[in-house]
Amino acid sequence: MSSAAVLAAEFQAPSFEYSLLSPLLVIFGVAITGVLVEAFAPRGSRYLLQAVLAVLGVVGALVATVIVGLNLVSRGGGTAHGSIAAEGAIAVDGPSIFIWGTVLVLSLVSVLLFAERRLEGGVLSFAGQAAALPGTEAEREASTRGLEHTEVFPLMMFAVGGMMLFPASNDLLTMFVALEVLSLPLYLLCGLARRRRLLSQEAALKYFMLGAFSSGFFIYGIALVYGYAGSMNFAAISAAVSGRAGGEGLLLGGIALLAVGMMFKVGAAPFHAWTPDVYQGAPTAVTAFMAACTKVAAFGALLRLFYVAFGGARWDWTPMVWVIAILTMVVGSVLALSQTDVKRMLAYSSIAHAGFLLTGFVGAQQVADVGIGEITSLQAVLFYLVTYGFTTVAAFAVVTVVRDAGGEATHLSRWSGLGKESPVVAGVFAVLLLGMAGIPLTSGFTGKWAVFTTALAGGAWPLVVTAVLFSVVAAFFYVRVIVLMYFSDPVGEGPTVATPSILTTIVIAVGFAATLALGVVPGPVLDLAAAAGEFIR
Amino acid sequence: MELYMPVVALGIIATGFAVFSIVMSAVVGPKRYNRAKLDSYECGIEPTPQPVGGGRFPVKYYITAMLFIVFDIEIIFLYPWAVAFDNMAVFGLVEMILFILTVFVAYAYVWRRGGLEWD
Amino acid sequence: MPLWWPLLLSSLLFAIGVYGVLVRRNAVLVLMGVELMLNAVNLNLVAFDAYFRDVLHGGQTFALFVIVIAAAEIGLGLAIVLLVFRTHGQIDVDTMRELADREEPAVAER
Repeated sequence: MSSAAVLAAEFQAPSFEYSLLSPLLVIFGVAITGVLVEAFAPRGSRYLLQAVLAVLGVVGALVATVIVGLNLVSRGGGTAHGSIAAEGAIAVDGPSIFIWGTVLVLSLVSVLLFAERRLEGGVLSFAGQAAALPGTEAEREASTRGLEHTEVFPLMMFAVGGMMLFPASNDLLTMFVALEVLSLPLYLLCGLARRRRLLSQEAALKYFMLGAFSSGFFIYGIALVYGYAGSMNFAAISAAVSGRAGGEGLLLGGIALLAVGMMFKVGAAPFHAWTPDVYQGAPTAVTAFMAACTKVAAFGALLRLFYVAFGGARWDWTPMVWVIAILTMVVGSVLALSQTDVKRMLAYSSIAHAGFLLTGFVGAQQVADVGIGEITSLQAVLFYLVTYGFTTVAAFAVVTVVRDAGGEATHLSRWSGLGKESPVVAGVFAVLLLGMAGIPLTSGFTGKWAVFTTALAGGAWPLVVTAVLFSVVAAFFYVRVIVLMYFSDPVGEGPTVATPSILTTIVIAVGFAATLALGVVPGPVLDLAAAAGEFIR
Repeated sequence: MELYMPVVALGIIATGFAVFSIVMSAVVGPKRYNRAKLDSYECGIEPTPQPVGGGRFPVKYYITAMLFIVFDIEIIFLYPWAVAFDNMAVFGLVEMILFILTVFVAYAYVWRRGGLEWD
Repeated sequence: MPLWWPLLLSSLLFAIGVYGVLVRRNAVLVLMGVELMLNAVNLNLVAFDAYFRDVLHGGQTFALFVIVIAAAEIGLGLAIVLLVFRTHGQIDVDTMRELADREEPAVAER
């Protein structure tokens, strides 16, 4: 039979489930419309158009997600439900829906932070004209005319689309494309700060260089796994892994290289080096968005890739993840102690959180081992991501309002005495820090509790002991900042707390409320995570 | 392997011819140097003097070049469709129209924001 | 031709790319290293595709995607490099040390 005949025999016209994928389509549609608005709308009306468009788009996608989520069909028995859409490229299942919801709510909050104009005196906190050099005529003209890059909204929407596609992708090709779609806009956004332009551009360059480097490893891993399994599809890879088709070297090399790319995105040591630099240099609104949503999306993708595609090779990758998890917790907690910049400190804290999340990931309590009323490690990690995301966005939002003459006062010495200057802001920040530290009655505690108990049940007790130990170390540097805010005298003029518009206030309020609510009554969200069930295969 | 023999033979003949020509011109040819012969070759026009390191190009070249490359490369996605368009039927046509439309959106942005203007 | 020939060539190319990224200090040359890595993978993908006689040509399709994404990445990367050059006056990646962990006494001890 000639190859053309084979093609004709096996080829069926593809189909595309538009309604199942409507959340993704809405977000990408909004992003493309945003580009058109940039092209054709007059300059003065762009800000309002873009901001409203972005908010409406995210809300619309959220509604679509809820509708799709309520109509998922059960599949293959057990707790897995959902369907595989777009010719096997995208899995719309419980965990996908849960992550979509989380990413969209966090993006909605971040859009408000992006749209804040009052703190910079009526303009966005992004560069007025990125191409203009600081201190030149063009720069002055841009700032007197109040130019602003409203392109940040469509860029953000593209990133959100990538973040939704990433954890839902069901083959390696889709996963790689999603990875790039979420990364490329973020590289650009990092370089667009209005204040401290040089730092911001350096952050963008570093993020881009390291990101491109790591995605090189990622696709080499994809090529090796393809060489092993003969297919990009997770189901086919899983079958090949379980069947031990031979050529283990290709598989192990592929898993290791894919892990490099993934661990880079989640910011796990030893691939964390970009995190503090980029979090510090990027505009704070972008940092908030990136820290919360990228982490959620990347962990979702990590879980799907390793549980679904490489689940059969679990004993091969578990030791590697153990080492990475321990290293990440150590690096995150210990290096955070010596930081003098609040954004850097929060960056190291996010690295430590990645370590705690990896603990849950590797504990791998599977459906079969779960008793009544217990949750699997997948569901525990999903819950932790929600708690982490809200606290992080709110913490960075607080950073945007504590200012001095040069813009945001990120050096920790400027934060001393904040408790006297503004008891409300200091109080909110203190609660958020306690939440990150995992003090009871905050979301951090319930999140850690969920993750550590599943890891314990999965038999990873040395890892859990390490994690608890480093939670204590981490609590120390959070508490140090609280002490600084309340029990130190202001240095020099002391910090000032700018009054933000309603937008940033909403962000801080939502994050603060979520931190407390998830700590006191975690039940509903935990139930939601449990209802997400398992990945479909 | 037999299928490749003509290609290999062609390669050997080509290499042989190149080596033969270079060696023969070095042995047989006259060696008379003048200014024009020692100058760098710029497609027959007078070489323009340039600073050390080749000089700098205006940044406009970069924008034009990048736009060219991005739009050029996008067309690669039409290639699989061109291979299998009859199997894809109407679905493929619709998807490709959607794809081209998104490329047009990017084009509209570039055009409206002055990316195509030289001055 | 045995499968391992193109695989070997591609891993060598990939290694050269990694070496270029790690050793070069000029940002543009680092980008070239990244580009070499991506193209090495393309060779790998196409070789596997031919080896499996993949009916749907997953490997070749992936190679097309990699080419497009590499072009997008390079376009964006050069834009960032250009911006950095205009503001910093040079693009030596080793001098980008404004953002780094500092040997400063911790704030609490001041």
